[in-house]
Amino acid sequence: MEKDYEIYEVFSQKEPTGKYESQFSLLAPSPEIALAMAQENFLRREDPPANLFVVNRRHIHFISPEARVALRRMDNKAYRMPGYYGRVLKKWHELKARRGIGDRLLKVEEDG
Amino acid sequence: MSIFDLPAVREDPEQVEAFLARIDRGEKIEADDWMPMDYRLQLVKLIAMHGISEIMGAFPEKEWVPRAPTLRRRLSLMAKVQDEMGHGQLLLRVAEDLIRPFGKTREDILNDLYAGRLKFHNVFHMPAPTWADAALIGWLVDGAAIITQKMLVQGSYAPYVRALRRIIMEERFHAFHGEDMSQALGDGTPEQRKMLQEALNRWWDALLMFFGPPEEEQMPSNQLKNLRYRIRTKTNEELRQEFLSKYVPQIWALGLTVPDETLRFDEATGRWVYRHPDYSYLRNVIGRNRGPRSEARLHLRRSAFEHNRWVREALLARQAVQKEAAIV
Ligand SMILES: [Fe+2]
Ligand SMILES: [Fe+2]
Repeated sequence: MEKDYEIYEVFSQKEPTGKYESQFSLLAPSPEIALAMAQENFLRREDPPANLFVVNRRHIHFISPEARVALRRMDNKAYRMPGYYGRVLKKWHELKARRGIGDRLLKVEEDG
Repeated sequence: MSIFDLPAVREDPEQVEAFLARIDRGEKIEADDWMPMDYRLQLVKLIAMHGISEIMGAFPEKEWVPRAPTLRRRLSLMAKVQDEMGHGQLLLRVAEDLIRPFGKTREDILNDLYAGRLKFHNVFHMPAPTWADAALIGWLVDGAAIITQKMLVQGSYAPYVRALRRIIMEERFHAFHGEDMSQALGDGTPEQRKMLQEALNRWWDALLMFFGPPEEEQMPSNQLKNLRYRIRTKTNEELRQEFLSKYVPQIWALGLTVPDETLRFDEATGRWVYRHPDYSYLRNVIGRNRGPRSEARLHLRRSAFEHNRWVREALLARQAVQKEAAIV
């Protein structure tokens, strides 16, 4: 028999459309008790969460410390960012003016 | 099986160097990262003591829950005591993950406490005979803890930092809670004011000792290690000076007198000059669990542990049965 309880990682959601947030971990003899303890341990004064769940840590696959180092990304991904394409907006304004197309007809929207 | 008996291992000096370089770069260490056994041991010592102190610290205050003067005060105090138990749980989780690779668990931490191998903070060995003591604990003991924790949260071990962030958030409530109780007494009837002054007289030395002996020319090796590993970033004396800077003016604002006629702020050095308490008391009395309330509180903790043993075992047995059923 195990000497101690199992480790559960606790997650909650603020709103139904929100992301899963890690709260912390706790020791519990079963998932049911882990859930009850999670409310008591981590959510006793916060606004009530939209959802709450626990995962036995044995079922989580963590990336290894060695692989974690490789997560660091080189600074060469600007082309994945919208700011890289700022020239597009300028170009639309230029094209509009050249062809005499009014603002009512062609709206140049900053956020794409 | 003490939590402090970690296996002696031969470590690759280059790996240790690389680890220290990570610390120097300000990187944070995760539970599953490689770390020198010595770093692990320093963390276990600090975090197990911190965690167990939160739990032992709930006792002096819990004594006042049924005797709180009003329902409102009782609700606040109960919430605060519950927070402290919660802090204990967070910190024990962090300590457990550090000793788990060696087959040690929470039960080993508690057994070390009962056997006197694991200490708890000096302030929680002291009696809290009046309601003013409860107020003063909330105000100044929590105040001292907050100053220490704000330093520790800068440390290098990520899981401890995550726990501390949560704790510090809750401590903001504790600080106001304690100040509110103390203001009510300090600004109250002559009798209430006298009660608060007497509590301050009782607690002053213990509060100064909370930060540990001042570092003289030679810093103790434990301290040096923790600074090297960035487990802590300030010395005992620096923390005590911060405490004095924050709380002596508050004490004065309440019209109270610090029981030390030599206490003054030295403008030239920017430091507080004060009378040191007898630090040998920490080692010889508190360190041996011979403080005024050491035995009684340990007894309370141990008997709760023993009385609830059957519940823990029943729940574990139920889990074992379910697991077996799942295998079949
Ligand atoms: Fe606390
Ligand atoms: Fe606190």
